[in-house]
Amino acid sequence: MPTSRRNFIKALGAGALTTAALTAMPSTFTAHAADTNGYKALVCVFLFGGLDCHDLILPHDQVSYDQYAQLRSSLLAQQGAARQRASLLPLSPASDGVLQGRQVALPPEMPLLQGLFGQGKAAIVGNVGPLVEPVTRASFESGAVRLPPRLFSHNDQQAVWQANQPEGAQYGWGGLFADAVLASGANASLPQFTTIATEEVGPFLTGRNAVPYRVSTSGAARVDFLEDYYEGVSGERADLLEAVRDQLAARSYRGSHLLERDMAAAFSGGLETNEAYDTARQQGAALSASFPATPLGAQLRAAAETINVRDRLFASRQVFFVGLGGFDTHDAQARALPKLLSQLDGALAAFQASIDALGLGQQVTLFTASDFGRTLAVNGDGTDHGWGGHRIVLGSAVKGGEIYGSLPPPSLGHAADSGGGRLIPSVAVDSYAAELGRWFGLGESELSAALPGLGNFAPLPKSFI
Amino acid sequence: MPIRRAHPILNPLLVVSFGVLMLAVSCSGGGGAGGENGPVGGPTPPPPPPTGAFATEAGTSRFLTQATFGPCPEEVSALIGTSASDWFLAELEKPASLHMPQLEAFRRMIADPDADFPVLAVQSSTFSFWRNAIEGDDQLRQRMAFALSQILVVSNFGGELLTDIPEPVVGYQDVLVEGAFGNYRDLLEAVTYSPAMGYYLTYMGNQKADPATGRMPDENYAREILQLFTIGVVQLGPDGEPVLANGQPVELYDNMDVTGLARVFTGLDLDGLDRQRFPSVVDAVDEWDGLEEALLRPMTINDRLHSPEAKRFLDCEIAAGTSTETSIDQALDCIMDHPNVGPFVSRQLIQRFTSSAPDPNYVQRVASTFDAGTYTLPDGTRVGDGRKGDLSATLAAILFDEDVRSDASLTDPQFGKIREPILRFTHWARAFDADASRPEYGIELFDLSAPDALSQHPYRARSVFNFYRPGYIAPGTESGAAGLTIPELQIVNATSTPGYINFMTFWAFGGQSMIPADELEAELEEMGVPVDRAALERAFLPDYSEELALANSAALLVDHLDSLLVYNSLSEETKAAITAALEAQPVDGPGDSEALADRVSLAVLLVMTSPDYLVQR
Repeated sequence: MPTSRRNFIKALGAGALTTAALTAMPSTFTAHAADTNGYKALVCVFLFGGLDCHDLILPHDQVSYDQYAQLRSSLLAQQGAARQRASLLPLSPASDGVLQGRQVALPPEMPLLQGLFGQGKAAIVGNVGPLVEPVTRASFESGAVRLPPRLFSHNDQQAVWQANQPEGAQYGWGGLFADAVLASGANASLPQFTTIATEEVGPFLTGRNAVPYRVSTSGAARVDFLEDYYEGVSGERADLLEAVRDQLAARSYRGSHLLERDMAAAFSGGLETNEAYDTARQQGAALSASFPATPLGAQLRAAAETINVRDRLFASRQVFFVGLGGFDTHDAQARALPKLLSQLDGALAAFQASIDALGLGQQVTLFTASDFGRTLAVNGDGTDHGWGGHRIVLGSAVKGGEIYGSLPPPSLGHAADSGGGRLIPSVAVDSYAAELGRWFGLGESELSAALPGLGNFAPLPKSFI
Repeated sequence: MPIRRAHPILNPLLVVSFGVLMLAVSCSGGGGAGGENGPVGGPTPPPPPPTGAFATEAGTSRFLTQATFGPCPEEVSALIGTSASDWFLAELEKPASLHMPQLEAFRRMIADPDADFPVLAVQSSTFSFWRNAIEGDDQLRQRMAFALSQILVVSNFGGELLTDIPEPVVGYQDVLVEGAFGNYRDLLEAVTYSPAMGYYLTYMGNQKADPATGRMPDENYAREILQLFTIGVVQLGPDGEPVLANGQPVELYDNMDVTGLARVFTGLDLDGLDRQRFPSVVDAVDEWDGLEEALLRPMTINDRLHSPEAKRFLDCEIAAGTSTETSIDQALDCIMDHPNVGPFVSRQLIQRFTSSAPDPNYVQRVASTFDAGTYTLPDGTRVGDGRKGDLSATLAAILFDEDVRSDASLTDPQFGKIREPILRFTHWARAFDADASRPEYGIELFDLSAPDALSQHPYRARSVFNFYRPGYIAPGTESGAAGLTIPELQIVNATSTPGYINFMTFWAFGGQSMIPADELEAELEEMGVPVDRAALERAFLPDYSEELALANSAALLVDHLDSLLVYNSLSEETKAAITAALEAQPVDGPGDSEALADRVSLAVLLVMTSPDYLVQR
């Protein structure tokens, strides 16, 4: 920033911030059902665009692989060696229940995930997706079942995944989980650091009380004017800096226009929260683990750095949202997807290593989500929008080295095929979320409040965490 | 009330053209594209009676805020008391400022023809956008093209072809500029055949199904042309509100419709591309000399690759064996016939010009104009050819709507829109006559898409879903609690608010002049941008002469900016607070030029970051 204008004053340091305005979180709930002892964090890695589940978990026994290779011949021709059977990285789950004699593998871009799976720190939950109630192929085709709204549409299915409603949804389950722990007294002094996003987040982190706090990967955004323009001048001009700061925080605004009031609140809240966050971040020790220099690596590093200063943020429960786009591989899947999977592999492994180094392996759980899976059928050089998909869960609390849910066969017309290999989910997002919420400390009534559809589904036969 | 009149020569200059009274006044900066405002000979006809819109300075400024990239003081002064209908008609007739000639000129400036992805070419869509938006004389057309670019989204955000090769996006900018006052149906056709959209939504090279391999037609464009470009996902009433059945919105189609429509968009490919040699168009980069040229031509048809089956979607059926061209024609006609198109498109256009959460009655008035294809201006002139989808009529209905023009809308606590970050910047540049004739010198403007910048960059949305969604209701806000859709709040957060303050600080305090010129010149030349030092030192510099003359009085300065930037709608509290902040910075009399300059810059910054400014009422 400009240096020639530093003839202003530098009067206030970051320490001048008071957090009084930040602690106005109402605590109207008296029930303290959620367990908020110790520290726990959930980290949602959202893969925007719809990850092709059929290109994440691949068949590996010869019969299944041959079936897959025939259905995907045009794509496989473009994918070359990377999808030849010999290149794949087999997964050896502890039990065979889901596979029923078949074998599956990861693509060669994911050796680190294969390692974490082998160490029992990672699990696969197969065929997860939005459901209102259990669906079979017969009930899907006859229309005798309630379906999630606007299937196969990106923005709507992102919202349904996050908030059980299509676009326009207000409250996501990450935010409602946060509400539950806030109501139980967690994070009372700085509640705004309960839900943190490093990427544009939909409704996922919004609750009735919780509001997502957005940080950039390098920390909180700063106001250059307040940092630079006043440098090197004595404190006698504190009144000027304070007046400017007050105006940039829209302190004087008293109007009744709804949009103006929202903008005033955004400017004021942003400024103050950023200053508090930066103060905490600056006091944290550097992480020992290194992260790849990728967009997802940078976001997960920011999440790990925030977890590292959890005590300075007075946080005992946090929900994070990080994201990576580009998974909408209608075309050029052979070229585009391996790079993304490789980025995912590197970033997840670095995150787990840094959490392990902090001694928080049991206290931090990462999980993936995506708009939907994709078709098994190929459109030439890519795949189209699907429904259910396979998800990764990571952390020492996870009952890893295991595959949960279901992995339908690589064929068309099977019992979970809604057409073209768009999988009818066998695990509802509500059930997947409930497992994570229970671990996070929520009681059953709080889970039901956050996930109203949960009662429509039987409990998962085997808990993954 | 202080009125900015920096250029007293600009009385209304009336030019008779196509029977329309045309005002040849523009805000062009030094040596820009637009400024042909010399005096015109011949007798001057008497001015027409003023309409409400241009009756006062504030009204004129407000109308131009809604309809252009920001009012400039010369234009406001010149238009006060004239007819807004005449202004609108004149805008319709103005020649289009195109983007492609600018790319050609940039390409000619590239010294090293072998340079990989030279900045002058790669960033051309950005450069020509700033130049046209800030200096173009055809403001209404450029603003409409920008609005359309946020509905019919194509983006060079993602890397690869549309980022590395400028022709498709630049050509697409001109598709929207040229179609801005045309018919939406025709625009959809031009968009459908454009290589930019064909690549972006992945139907370039899309083929019929192949049962042997299980290959299906790509569904991407079929889905988005319905969902995002024409009808949405649920049945709408004529007022744009969802129709409910048993309390639930009624979904318009399912995946069968999408797979049916996907067959229509098979058989289109890049004109001249040898698919044997280049299975993917990306393979042709640097390998095929004809690539850039081909990316400027509409896609070509190969009927052999087109789906021969019948195509069923919505209530439409296209017979088996229909050719590519006829199938596309029939499909677009059929989609255009859907009753959702009027309210769906109209509501989104309203959001880009006047109101983030428009009153359903307003939507209905505009949508019925869209359907009727004609609108009668306040002076009785009819615009539009009477065909459904006429965009000039639709735009007139948006801007001349009685509710919008009424003073009541100024005080309605829900009317208005959050100013888009890009429009705040162009407004600043036009209000203070910043020179945008050499946009390639504005390195701070090369990419504003990051969340800690503006989260908005022309033709660089993160996805086909634009920077924000038209139905976005911001959680945890007062507008959200009232159920209002405020798309722009989707990019407002704790990172983007300081991002905007920092961006605006840079420009308000003189922008480019803060960077040592030698360093800037070296940096630009390293990127292959030839530098004219005098032009470089002038680039994007604000002309604050009017403001400096007032700055000894903080109160007068704030009054002046209130008039210039916000048509006197700053609240008393905001004015008092800004004045107090300015007075906290000591000025040692009228001779203290450095302190006065800082005071003016600070005043501009504080006004343009105030809630009163950030919401366009």
